[in-house]
Amino acid sequence: MKAAHLVFAVLTALSFQSHAVDIEAGKKKAEACIACHGVAGNSTIPMFPVLAGQNARYLYLELRDFKEGARVNPMMSPMAVNLSKEDMQDLAAYFAAQTPAAIKFQADPAKVKLGFAKSEEVLCSMCHLGGMKGQNEIPKLSGQHYAYIKKQLMDFKARDRHNDAGNMTSVTKTLSDEDIENISQYVANIN
Amino acid sequence: MLATAGAGIAQETQGGAGIKALPMSAALLPVSQAMLDGAAKDSKNWLHTNGDYAQTRYYPATQINAKNVATLKPKFVFQTAVVESMETAPIVVNGVMFITTSYNYVYAVDAVTGREFWHYKHKMGPVTTFCCGPNNRGVAVSEGKLYMGTLDAKLIALDTKTGKLLWETEIADPEKGYSETMAPTVADGKVLIGTNGGEYGIRGFVKAFDAQTGKLDWTFYTIPEKGHEGVWAKNDATGRDMHRDIAAEKVAFAKKSNFHETLGGGVWTTPAIDRATKTVFFVVGNPSPDLYGAERPGDNLYTDSLVAIDLDTGKYKWHFQYISHDVWDLDAVSPPILVDVKDKNGKMIPGVIHGGKTGHVYVHDRRDGSLIRFSDAMVPQENMWTLPTATGARMLPGANGGVEWSPMAYNAGARLTYALNLNQPMTYQVDGSNYPNGKLWLGGAFKNAPGEEQSGNVTAVNIDTGKITWQAKTDQPMIGGALATAGNLVFAGEGNGLFKAYDAKTGKVLWQFQCGAGVNAPPVSYMVNGKQYIAVAVGGNSQMDFKRGNSVMVFGL
Repeated sequence: MKAAHLVFAVLTALSFQSHAVDIEAGKKKAEACIACHGVAGNSTIPMFPVLAGQNARYLYLELRDFKEGARVNPMMSPMAVNLSKEDMQDLAAYFAAQTPAAIKFQADPAKVKLGFAKSEEVLCSMCHLGGMKGQNEIPKLSGQHYAYIKKQLMDFKARDRHNDAGNMTSVTKTLSDEDIENISQYVANIN
Repeated sequence: MLATAGAGIAQETQGGAGIKALPMSAALLPVSQAMLDGAAKDSKNWLHTNGDYAQTRYYPATQINAKNVATLKPKFVFQTAVVESMETAPIVVNGVMFITTSYNYVYAVDAVTGREFWHYKHKMGPVTTFCCGPNNRGVAVSEGKLYMGTLDAKLIALDTKTGKLLWETEIADPEKGYSETMAPTVADGKVLIGTNGGEYGIRGFVKAFDAQTGKLDWTFYTIPEKGHEGVWAKNDATGRDMHRDIAAEKVAFAKKSNFHETLGGGVWTTPAIDRATKTVFFVVGNPSPDLYGAERPGDNLYTDSLVAIDLDTGKYKWHFQYISHDVWDLDAVSPPILVDVKDKNGKMIPGVIHGGKTGHVYVHDRRDGSLIRFSDAMVPQENMWTLPTATGARMLPGANGGVEWSPMAYNAGARLTYALNLNQPMTYQVDGSNYPNGKLWLGGAFKNAPGEEQSGNVTAVNIDTGKITWQAKTDQPMIGGALATAGNLVFAGEGNGLFKAYDAKTGKVLWQFQCGAGVNAPPVSYMVNGKQYIAVAVGGNSQMDFKRGNSVMVFGL
């Protein structure tokens, strides 16, 4: 928690130094993110999402939701609460510009097959596009950690996460735990 | 500016040393208003995205016809730098073809050889917002300029000879969910363009910009500030009960009626224009949020409607709403077509027709919008209008069809219009939510009905009777658009890569070619040096996840 306070102070100070979307400024501000999200947003801890190569608009809006309380997480919420709009845009631009590293995940082929079929049924690609590469505020899912994807789907289903305007809470509402496991395996298998 | 941009672009996509762009064809002359007005009879050029102001997508040449189409062969393939959904209808002027791609590239190429003259890559602003793929459906041309809407909600003008950016203007704030995928249209020195954003809680519009300067001339909002509750219609356009709880809606409306700024109503397909009466006809998309109606009591005018306004002023003339208080996303999106039709007494009158996502072709009196008839259902309709539930209610058609954005074509001689349909069985699932401030706002989810077959069809409808004359089924849901020609042909592409020519009167498949990626764009035809060509974009489709590509294929005898 102490570390979080220090990081928070650094981000707050930096937020006064930038007034436009600036990747270099974002890089400095992102130093506070390394502990969880890894160097250049390449998280090596499966519970923390890979941010490298993620869509900038998605990152910006998620930070905005953490700041405003629309999305709640005990670690991220205090990190975001004092970020300015410029901070959030700089951070989003920086992470979006980074190259994602390949995820090492041994998928179960049978589950991947079932997950693909279920993802077709619930029309994942209509929003996330083919290959789950995302578009503007719809996140890129390819190259993401299995554990993180699964947790988000479970959180949407339990409505622990609900900053989705009814979309993902609806998608997950009728998914079984097995469906979520299979979809997570499928998505984590796309690099 | 051109020199800098050109140098950068040459390195960016042409790569090899010594490759130079082709000098622009001397044949390319400015497209005059007279040429745009005469496009329906122009058997040389393809000047409007849907062929002419009436949007018939009918090409009057007969060189390629039902007797010789079996010998049609590819002449060239132009490959762009963007492998992503392609929905462009190429514009062809005196042998020069203008093509757009996803992410707003524009190419000018020789329409006989495929050699590039120039290309332009739009420098996207920091915010792009779009629901269904980074598409662009093409450009408008007039007086030496080319106009394109962009994913960051700008309208740009380029010099047709050089690709030089002449001006750009922001149409609306992309932060709030506005963006552009439609092909604009030009008339009387005005560029007309609507907006995407029905999935984002925008306030829809059609705007007119000065074609010379980019200055805003007028705006027509598809969501009126007052009166959007309408007449509290109980039935849809065909008379079916929509199961609205109107009493509850009225109570909710009395408490809160000021939601016109987020009620949706995008206009994202190209308007038709009646030059004689200076009237603009367009269809309006869904209300926001798509599935959650409690947030927006009332008829939600003018969503899901056919609307007519004045070309000079943008003032309202009339509207006809197909579905009031839509909670199924079965909005009006296929571009309207201006044709003469038989009224209920058999008298020929000026009409306007529209292919609906409900699976009907609707036939209207052009003078007041009144509905004359609607066609036989072109796709399965079941359980209409079952309301969405928290766990999902099945109703057909699904949210993508009958006729999605795909423009129909029309053959006046045969009295037939040709519609591309999707049969994609879905469930409708609602989950209440407040306006999410510029984020996707469905208020629920659409899901494919498990285990149910998806398919499509090309359907020929007699507009004077509403009867289906022929129907050709396809393996995949159909999205993209149709072309009819005087050669007794109809062309349409499929998600599996097949591009087909049908006999216009019988629906018999006379020719097909495997293009290698989804053919989900409206075909066009043109003539250069006395030879007729058929061109179509081959890039697949984001919305249906058909195989992506990056090509325009051109065929000839």
